[in-house]
Amino acid sequence: MRRDHTAQTASPAAAPFLSRRGFLGAVGGGLAATTLAACGSGGSSSSGGGSEVVFMNQSRGQAATLKALAKQYTQQTGVKIRIDDVGPTDFLTKLQSSSQSRDMPDMYSVVDGHSMAPYYKAGWAMDLTDQMKGGWGDTFRPATLKTTTFGADNPQHVKPGIYSAHWETPALGIFVNAAMYKAAGLDPDQAPASMSEFIDQLRKIKKSGKGPFWFATSLSNQVIQSYASNYMSDEELNATFVGKNSWKSTGWRKTLQLIADLRDAGVIATGSLPSGTTDNPTVEKAFFNTQGVAAIFDGTSAVGVARATAPDFTDFRSFPLPKADDGTQAPRLVGGAAKGAAVNPRSKKAAEALKFLKWLTAAKQQQVWAKGVPLIPSARAVSDKDVPEQLAGIAAKISDVQLVQNQILEQVNTALQKGTQALILKERTVDQVLGDLDAAQKSA
Amino acid sequence: MRRRSRVLAAWLFLAPALAVIALFTVVPFVQGIQLSFQSWDGVSLDTPYVGLDNYRYVLHDTQFWGSMKNAVLYGVVGLVVANAVSMVMALAVHRARRGSAFFRTVYYLPGVFSTVVVGVMFSWFLDPNIGVVNQTLKAVGLDGLQHNWLGDPTTAVIAVAAVFVWYHWGFGFILFLAGRQDVPKELYEASSLDGARGWAQFRYVTWPGMSHVTGIVSVLTLLSGLQIFGTVQVLTNGGPAGHTEVPTLHIYQQAFQYSEYGRAAAMSVIFGLCLIALACLQLWVSRRLGGSTDSRTEKGR
Repeated sequence: MRRDHTAQTASPAAAPFLSRRGFLGAVGGGLAATTLAACGSGGSSSSGGGSEVVFMNQSRGQAATLKALAKQYTQQTGVKIRIDDVGPTDFLTKLQSSSQSRDMPDMYSVVDGHSMAPYYKAGWAMDLTDQMKGGWGDTFRPATLKTTTFGADNPQHVKPGIYSAHWETPALGIFVNAAMYKAAGLDPDQAPASMSEFIDQLRKIKKSGKGPFWFATSLSNQVIQSYASNYMSDEELNATFVGKNSWKSTGWRKTLQLIADLRDAGVIATGSLPSGTTDNPTVEKAFFNTQGVAAIFDGTSAVGVARATAPDFTDFRSFPLPKADDGTQAPRLVGGAAKGAAVNPRSKKAAEALKFLKWLTAAKQQQVWAKGVPLIPSARAVSDKDVPEQLAGIAAKISDVQLVQNQILEQVNTALQKGTQALILKERTVDQVLGDLDAAQKSA
Repeated sequence: MRRRSRVLAAWLFLAPALAVIALFTVVPFVQGIQLSFQSWDGVSLDTPYVGLDNYRYVLHDTQFWGSMKNAVLYGVVGLVVANAVSMVMALAVHRARRGSAFFRTVYYLPGVFSTVVVGVMFSWFLDPNIGVVNQTLKAVGLDGLQHNWLGDPTTAVIAVAAVFVWYHWGFGFILFLAGRQDVPKELYEASSLDGARGWAQFRYVTWPGMSHVTGIVSVLTLLSGLQIFGTVQVLTNGGPAGHTEVPTLHIYQQAFQYSEYGRAAAMSVIFGLCLIALACLQLWVSRRLGGSTDSRTEKGR
């Protein structure tokens, strides 16, 4: 009351433009209006605004090349592309929050099929099946298209179709340190003819005091799937992944025996597999940076990691996982599709985003990807000479990539990772692990 | 009329805080419980009710219940080891005539790091090939003690527990130090006149005088130990072969790896109820052990 009285008695000329209470009220009102406006904007079904196409990018390693290509595209067409660099750690979280607020980007990176399936089911990705039927689809390697196509039997229950286009055909295989191989009297340029020969090589390296062979726990499913192709066709592998075939088959039993054989030969570095969220970086650090292990199992993207973290170390080779001595099939690489993108069909810029995606995956741009990242491109037309020499061994067999449409379910993947570690620790037998995989498949 | 306007004014002052609590605590809590009866993949706008299906799944999930064993282990380690270390450090710093400010800072320092930073840092320290621990052992001629700390199931559990203790001792330390400073000097003078020294003074003066702080720190450390997540995820991700798996990691996998948010919510509800029960038990035990002295002190004041 007293303050009011004082205010009333003040000279109008001396009064400020706004009293303190008025000022606070105005600020509060402004904040409330801003908040309401921000909440209200969630009603939009797509982001972008303005005249630019927004691309939410997951990859750090490919960001520079992507930005360079986007700039080139803008110069050629006048369509502005904004790369929203989210990074691998936050990508899925940000994409999920964008979908919840219905503020999805015009286009976005895609990761593994299991993680992306909810977005495809919710209608956040354009079905590219019809687009791929024309000339565009023919430009890709068959493995890239096959592994990114959701079939009628997919366990994620996504409507059959193709929801992403990719510029990278990765594959996983063995990388060996050439100097260590030579020091042990081995020829790094000659890939071992069989798994037993490879294990013999690793035994020789072990005698020289170096760690023979290592792979990350998170890649154990790829090791297993690669080796399983010695005993099963792609159809049989796919049937297991969708739950039609049992994990307890002879083929899988022989496959998992590989882990026991590596363990019994004593060729797994440190006698265990690294785990934790940085398990594969730990393996790559031991191979590229400290050169403490002679051979690792890793993806072709490892060459990009090597260029970034150990640019002076280039004396290494690659080859596919050696074939099983008692295999009944020609072994095939695990791979098919890695970095790529999906288009948000609800975006007002969907047509522009699709054009940009087609341009990004064209053979001419894939040469830029191959040299800039580097990577094995998904386009058939790109020459092998653009592939870095360290990838030559794996790239030579890139046409032998498994054509398995579905992936191992995440629940089974977790059980497989635990099972691989338990086999190495001799805590479980091969049959017990296979039983765990069957149980995980059924409960998923 | 005047009383009514005062009550109204009080509610108006409380309203912003209540609104924030309701928005960021109560609503998510209720939504979490609601989600435990639904099926949701994290993206879809469709969240059908599935009744008790999620709870049935959790009841039969042996891995979830198996991981509880590790949570209890880390809880007990937090309760006993971390609190004992924190209390010893607090008492030592309280007695220190020099450098107490330095040690206060150094002891509290681990707690300011994020768990991810701590996890990555210790994964480097414990690396079997180039880790500081193994390299130091090698440098001093103790090659035989070099070990694959995170690859061996036994040492992996101990390593995770040790990192947890290191990370959390600062929190207990600062509260114990405050509690120790709150114990009246007169009590020590009186006990000295009665002939009490060392252990007797700790047992009959320091410990009862700090019982209130000990109760709070114990509950919070126990809950932290039971809810351990970041350290485990970065260091071992539950490995090797599930030996360090904890319920929070299992819940995370259900939600963010398997896109089974309903099941994750059901696990969270069950795990939350277990935590509440354990916290109540811990408070009851604390009161039984030191509550009488504490209540006398309160009345005396």
